[in-house]
Amino acid sequence: MPSPPSLAQKLLEWFIKDELAEEVLGDLDEKYYYLIKNKSTTRAKLNYWYQVFNYLRPFALKNYRSNSKSTTMYKHNLKIAYRHLLKNRGYSFINIFSLTVGIAACMAIYLFIMDETSFDSMHSKKDHIYRLDEVQNFTGTKEQKVALSMPGMGPNMLSDFPEVINYTRFHQRGKRLLSKDEISHTVEQTFNVDSTFLKIFDFPLVSGDRETALNEPNAVLLTEETALKFFNTIEEAQGGSIKMGDNLLKITGILEDVPETSHMQFNVLFSMTTVTSENPDFNDQWGSNFLNTYLLLEDNVDAEALEAKLDDFLVRHMGENSEDREVLDYYQLFLQPLAEVHLNSSDIEHDYNNYRKFNGRYIDTFAMVGIFILIIASINFMNLSTARASQRWKEVGVRKAVGAQKIQLFNQFILESILLALLALVLAFAINILAIPWLNDAINRKLTMWFFIDQPQYLAVIFGITLGLGLLTGLYPSLYLTAFKAINVLKGNKQKGNKSVFRSGLVVLQFGLALAMIVSTLIVLNQLNYMKNKDVGFDKDQIVLIDMNGEVNEKFELIKSELLDLTTIAGVTASGQRLGNNFHQWGFKVKTDTGVFQMTPSNVFVEYDYLDVYNIKVKEGRSFSKEYSTDEGMAYIINEKLVKELGLKDPIGTPAGHGWYPDDSLGSIIGVTEDFNFNSLHHKVNTLSMVVHSDWGFDEMSVKIKGDDPQAAIAQIENVWDRHIKDWPFDYMFLDEHFATLYQSDNQMSAVVSIMTVLAILIACMGLFGLSSIMVMQKIKEVGIRKVLGANAFQITFLLSRNFLLLVVLAFIIASPITYYLLDDWLQNFAFHVDINFVIFIAGALISLAIALVTIGYHTIKASYRNPVEALRYE
Amino acid sequence: MIETKLGDFEEVILLLVGILGTEAYAFKIAEEFETQTERSVSIGAVHSTLTRLGDKGFLESKMGDASAERGGRRKRIYEITASGKRALENSRDFKVSLWNQFPAFANKLNFNI
Repeated sequence: MPSPPSLAQKLLEWFIKDELAEEVLGDLDEKYYYLIKNKSTTRAKLNYWYQVFNYLRPFALKNYRSNSKSTTMYKHNLKIAYRHLLKNRGYSFINIFSLTVGIAACMAIYLFIMDETSFDSMHSKKDHIYRLDEVQNFTGTKEQKVALSMPGMGPNMLSDFPEVINYTRFHQRGKRLLSKDEISHTVEQTFNVDSTFLKIFDFPLVSGDRETALNEPNAVLLTEETALKFFNTIEEAQGGSIKMGDNLLKITGILEDVPETSHMQFNVLFSMTTVTSENPDFNDQWGSNFLNTYLLLEDNVDAEALEAKLDDFLVRHMGENSEDREVLDYYQLFLQPLAEVHLNSSDIEHDYNNYRKFNGRYIDTFAMVGIFILIIASINFMNLSTARASQRWKEVGVRKAVGAQKIQLFNQFILESILLALLALVLAFAINILAIPWLNDAINRKLTMWFFIDQPQYLAVIFGITLGLGLLTGLYPSLYLTAFKAINVLKGNKQKGNKSVFRSGLVVLQFGLALAMIVSTLIVLNQLNYMKNKDVGFDKDQIVLIDMNGEVNEKFELIKSELLDLTTIAGVTASGQRLGNNFHQWGFKVKTDTGVFQMTPSNVFVEYDYLDVYNIKVKEGRSFSKEYSTDEGMAYIINEKLVKELGLKDPIGTPAGHGWYPDDSLGSIIGVTEDFNFNSLHHKVNTLSMVVHSDWGFDEMSVKIKGDDPQAAIAQIENVWDRHIKDWPFDYMFLDEHFATLYQSDNQMSAVVSIMTVLAILIACMGLFGLSSIMVMQKIKEVGIRKVLGANAFQITFLLSRNFLLLVVLAFIIASPITYYLLDDWLQNFAFHVDINFVIFIAGALISLAIALVTIGYHTIKASYRNPVEALRYE
Repeated sequence: MIETKLGDFEEVILLLVGILGTEAYAFKIAEEFETQTERSVSIGAVHSTLTRLGDKGFLESKMGDASAERGGRRKRIYEITASGKRALENSRDFKVSLWNQFPAFANKLNFNI
């Protein structure tokens, strides 16, 4: 009879417990021979294998775990780490808390930066899309970059340059009244765009064909939100029609609402063919700038090389002939990559379609602040770990005596610090879940911690940084601790580690950073306060701005007189543009004895009472008045800057006019105003000319209210409005709100820097608090002896504080020059800025000194009042 | 704590140990299970259950004699303990009580016990 398969037998013997082998092999043999007898040999062999495999059960398997368990040591280390945490609750708290706050702050900053840098990243062709911008240089106006281009530029670039694949224009049409049957709404953010818009940009459509949606004249695309204002469902809206004035527009598609992180924000897109089919010359229109042009370039095109050809392009299309390069004195073109439009446009003016435009340089500031905070927190960890080393001498000594190798001790301490860092990471996550909504309120963002859940790769980055942080901060304390000589420790010789230069250096670094942040915050707040309170030369409080259309313009005089009858209204006027923006520039000419001068200052057309309502001071001459019939379009009030530019000795009465007026039919200059800051304080005051043009149609009414109850005044204005205006909604804004948005980027930066400064000081102080308590503990005997010998409490406190105060002073000396340099650089962003006063540095130093004193005071004063007996009793 | 409830398969195995008496060792029990239930089972599965019943204290075992067809190896003979018997009785009583509460069958079936 054949014996059972030996391979299967060997396998079984290999894995089965020794004590089971005999009975199991016996049972299987019996089964095997039983099957041979009753069935067949093959069946028996197969079954033997089957039975062997069925012994692969936990109860029967050999226990392969060896007696020496590799995890034991780790378990032990974990336990020791845990016990140390509990034993020194105070220090553990400081360590974990400061790391937690540091990591939480960095995470928030990281979220912020990711949000800002994610702008316009949803377009698949984003790396090849450029915005066409101009540098304008007109006499009488400073050279300025503007986000404007001319209608003829896009089409002609497409035909002139093979590397330009496509273009689209983006022409702001402002607020429009749309209606469908009885429903009508004014819709903001409406634009004319070329049919290529949806091919260049990837704004998603809910319905409609993105290839053809913008091809036909009178086609319109609505965003989902806008469509649902007029229609019950998207299906109903798609293919439906909507009225704008007398035009019936066909809805050829519904767009998804534009994402928050897009610099272009729109609710309605009209097809550009609506314009070009009636006016084909539009595609070759030059000279005036009023829209944005975006270009799509070939993959490997060097944008700079293309830019170099744009001078000739301008000459070709705008010059009289190919020799006439005068146009280049006024215009130059440059290309701005799509990725830079959001973050790198702060020096670009007339940039109207750039939602949430942010000064990209602040991104670097934020990153730097985040790193500072992390450094300050890490220093706490390193300092406290090494300063507390004395408590672990014995542990290290004993471990070494029983055979621990350096690497094992090193691993132990590194593991501890990594564990703490990870714990801090978890806590930081929890803190941020609570803190982010609050931060969102402060800086007007929509940040969310879901970002990390949605995009785990960023979570991995944070995790990696935390691990690295644990490793780095653990490195020095670990090396420090493992370097102890076991023999010295066990003999009872104290290590002379109290005066650590390295540790002092870290404290200096920590306080230097904290000091830099304190001073920066003071300067930044100072500057913002300055901008808020600077006398800009006109009243910006209590002014209500109200949108106007043709109907409102027609009834302006009527509304104005009714409003002026109200007790809450101090004045009513209107203008073509809003203060706080750079006014449009166009030609202006004066005639003097020596000839006619052309200039291009900023211009604004206003209503008669403009200067009175805004309280703009007239230095020479008079204000506008209805008593002079020539004040309509023929009388100019200019600012001092323009007088200077024109070189006029006696400006009043000088013949002047718009650039297009013939030289022999000019009006005259009737007044000169002081240089008021009609633009934001980032910019110097430009030359300005003001003129009355009631016939041009004002864009905005300015109503100055008086009294303590602005809401009541608004209600009264609205009441008057509703009685006279049928088709235009009452839409208002306060002028100071508008100014607040001008400094939004700066305010948000200051909010973040202030919050971070407070955190940095908090963390640095906690570290100092811990460090001073350790130092006091180590000097307790010295203090006792000194007291016995007659030292008083003040002397003791001074003795204990002296070193720390020296460190703070040293930090001040090192940090001040660097801080000065950085702040000076920042202030150059503002044409009007405060000077850096050295007093602020002294104030910052005093603040940090005071904070340091109070922090260590708790321990030093306590020590100085302690009864020396307590300290000296045991010896 | 060790689970002391009897599973269905455990109960059958325990009963088979009782039935087989001195012949109750893994191979025989597996054979008997297959004949009685007409379901196939591996010796390993039976052995595993026997061990578990041993851990629960329902079975005791000792090594028995060797025989030629086992290649001269001894077998492990199992025997029900007192608590094993009690567990079987409890299990039976519980089921009978359930049957008695079943209205369609209550008192109509005669459990000969």
